[in-house]
Amino acid sequence: MADPPDKQGRAPGEMTPEELARFERRVSELGNKLGKVKAGRNADAEADRDAEMRGRGMAYGLRMAMDLVAAVFVGGLIGWGLDWVLGTRPWLLLLFFLLGFAAGILNVMRTYQQMQREFAARTGGNIGHRVPDDD
Amino acid sequence: MPDPIHQFDLHRIVPINLFGWDVSFTNSAAYMVLVVVLSTGFFMIATRTRSLVPSRLQSVAEIAHDFVADMLRQNVGKEGMKYFPFVFALFIFIFMSNMLGMIPGAFTVTSHLVVTAALAAMVFLTVLVVGFARNGLRFFKLFVPSGVPWYILPLVILIEMISFLARPISHSMRLFANMLAGHITLKVFSGFVVMLLGAGIFAVLSPLSLLMVVAITALEVLVAFLQAYVFTMLTCIYLNDALHPGH
Repeated sequence: MADPPDKQGRAPGEMTPEELARFERRVSELGNKLGKVKAGRNADAEADRDAEMRGRGMAYGLRMAMDLVAAVFVGGLIGWGLDWVLGTRPWLLLLFFLLGFAAGILNVMRTYQQMQREFAARTGGNIGHRVPDDD
Repeated sequence: MPDPIHQFDLHRIVPINLFGWDVSFTNSAAYMVLVVVLSTGFFMIATRTRSLVPSRLQSVAEIAHDFVADMLRQNVGKEGMKYFPFVFALFIFIFMSNMLGMIPGAFTVTSHLVVTAALAAMVFLTVLVVGFARNGLRFFKLFVPSGVPWYILPLVILIEMISFLARPISHSMRLFANMLAGHITLKVFSGFVVMLLGAGIFAVLSPLSLLMVVAITALEVLVAFLQAYVFTMLTCIYLNDALHPGH
């Protein structure tokens, strides 16, 4: 059953001009608020991602340090062992120490390539804080 | 000052002597059992219902599964999924040990080099066995990068071999060193809080130290996850080498 028309002869549910203006103001206020909340949330998400990328960066850094040291150590160990077996002290130790260093650098370079790939895939190429451009 | 190393002490719970070897059940072993029981229990409960619309527990289990599965697929490819149980077990074990270690007073299994070295050796041997089983002698191609002139090839092969042999060492040292260093740092700063309180005027610095402890704890939780992730990630990369030697 339909409601009867009111005194001004408008259909039920229809708004007076004042009501309409108030309604639109409320909508735009709500839109502003929503925009603020969304912006805050985006900033939060960005900060989270930033912290995560920092953590990953640190993990990678420590990993590279360890890669380098481990290879030098293993190289030295092999050289020392060979010297011990062949009685050529200290020449093979020196040689393999250097080779170990080369291997360490190789490891670090491989790790770095992998890091680049992962970070590029994760962030789409922009790493760290967004810095306003001076130009 | 409280001894920061004390937390890593091993003590025998059930002394066992096998053929002259001391294989006692220690607090470390107890925590390993706890880790296995907890993670097995969790996954059994989480996957009990197996509903299409997952419950909270089930979605945690699914996230963990997808996390490791994606890592394997990206780094090894589809055939890597054959090794999923191994890699997943590794990840969950390390992750649970690290996280359990974050509970004050708990023992951190992964802060002992023996444990991480055993895990890394397991991965290394798996790579060797799988590599030779699947590729035979072609596995040695791993040491021969393509496009290298013959006159420096011997040098490069030596370097590649050292780099290969260094893997289990850096693999195990990284996890161990991270957990050890983190827990020592935490203990030292917590020690400062108490020491400063009893140091007259310097007591005003005590809250600063406490703040550091809170910050480092947060960092350590991140490290606990990241190191489990890194260990698993490297396992995937090494497995990839075993399946596809030759760069």
